[in-house]
Amino acid sequence: MNNLLKLLERFHFVILFIILFTISSVLYFNTTYYQKARLNQLTLGVSGFFDSYFSSWSSYFNLQTSNTKLFKENVNLKNRLAYLQQKLKMTADTVEELKTAEVLYRYMPATVVSNAVNQQNNFILIDAGEQDSVMAGMGVICDRGVVGVVVSSAEHFSSVISLLNTDLVVSAKHKKSGVFGSLSWNGIDYRKVKLLDIPLHINLAVGDTIVTSGFSAMFPPDIPLGSIVDFYKKDGRFFDITVELFADFKSLDKVYVVNSIRRKELNKMLEAAEK
Amino acid sequence: MKDFPKYALLLIVLMILQIGVLNNLNLGGYINPYIYILFILVLPFSTPGWLLLLLSFFVGFIMDYFCNTLGLHMSAAVMLAFARPAIIRSISFGIQDEKSSPDLAHEGLGWFTRYVAIGVLVHHTTLFLLETFSFRLFYLTIVRIILSSAVSIFFIILIEILRLQRHKD
Repeated sequence: MNNLLKLLERFHFVILFIILFTISSVLYFNTTYYQKARLNQLTLGVSGFFDSYFSSWSSYFNLQTSNTKLFKENVNLKNRLAYLQQKLKMTADTVEELKTAEVLYRYMPATVVSNAVNQQNNFILIDAGEQDSVMAGMGVICDRGVVGVVVSSAEHFSSVISLLNTDLVVSAKHKKSGVFGSLSWNGIDYRKVKLLDIPLHINLAVGDTIVTSGFSAMFPPDIPLGSIVDFYKKDGRFFDITVELFADFKSLDKVYVVNSIRRKELNKMLEAAEK
Repeated sequence: MKDFPKYALLLIVLMILQIGVLNNLNLGGYINPYIYILFILVLPFSTPGWLLLLLSFFVGFIMDYFCNTLGLHMSAAVMLAFARPAIIRSISFGIQDEKSSPDLAHEGLGWFTRYVAIGVLVHHTTLFLLETFSFRLFYLTIVRIILSSAVSIFFIILIEILRLQRHKD
């Protein structure tokens, strides 16, 4: 017993190091980003305050580009509105159908208060929270594609797992053929993501558009994401496709949170399946 | 023990700098400087080993809390604390003065630069390897480690020089 104590005393530094290092590595590898975000939720109020303070300064420098972007988006929306009104008049009998299609998704505006592209696991903080009925699991888009998924929300702020996070996988499809695959970031270039699981018999071309599939109920279908810049045959069955994003994550400012009516239903199904 | 307020203040200042400024700084994608480890590096020579490890564990936890990476900075900081006595032994001659601490004021620029360089490399290597945790992006990770270390070393020495100036006044 005495010897054991002596041994402990002599090697306490190494033993304590092994214990602490094991604890922290296990913590790091065993927590999912949802758990990490939940931990972060406690500090979201504090860090959200500081971050919004910093970003209120930096957003002045982006006013010009923000304005032109908003203007373009407005024009697009107006065109779409005009088109829809035209269609509504022409097909009065399918009005009911159009209405049900409209309420499938609702958009809530939000501003980015903090954003990162330089880590492997990037998170974005937005200034809409529970008060704006933003909840975990909702998709976030901007005018030029998908931004990410809300992982946790405090009263006024929400934390969003960025598409530029190696943990996030989004369902996407090749617009021309309608074949879907999984889209994720490989952690190298913030402009480029990988689209996998597209079978070899599909005819691909550089410049083809990739859009959301709408399967996940986080994002509406057919939002343009990016275009193919490169592809090659990987392990004889699927393509490995490099997609350049339309959205520039470094200049992200105004985003929309997607509230899908189907999401609640889907979550209920998932919970039921877990039980 | 009488130096407790001094080190507490240093930790708070470093954390504000790290979380408020450096974490928001975008230096070309591959560069993420981490200066908070200066706190671990300049603790007095007489700090017992267990306290060194526990303090690093705590400092890493604060970082993880704000960076959304539970466990990552804790691992890297504990690794640095574990390596610290060995680093000091390997670059020093003779016996250290127990009352002094390994900082710029006591050890001079040459010694301190070598000390910081090795410490930062140990910490950043652990951190970035754990973050990627695959050898698929090995060369990219090496580039990130080298670039980030260079910037961290620069900032840490700059802060230490400023700290010394304030000390003299």
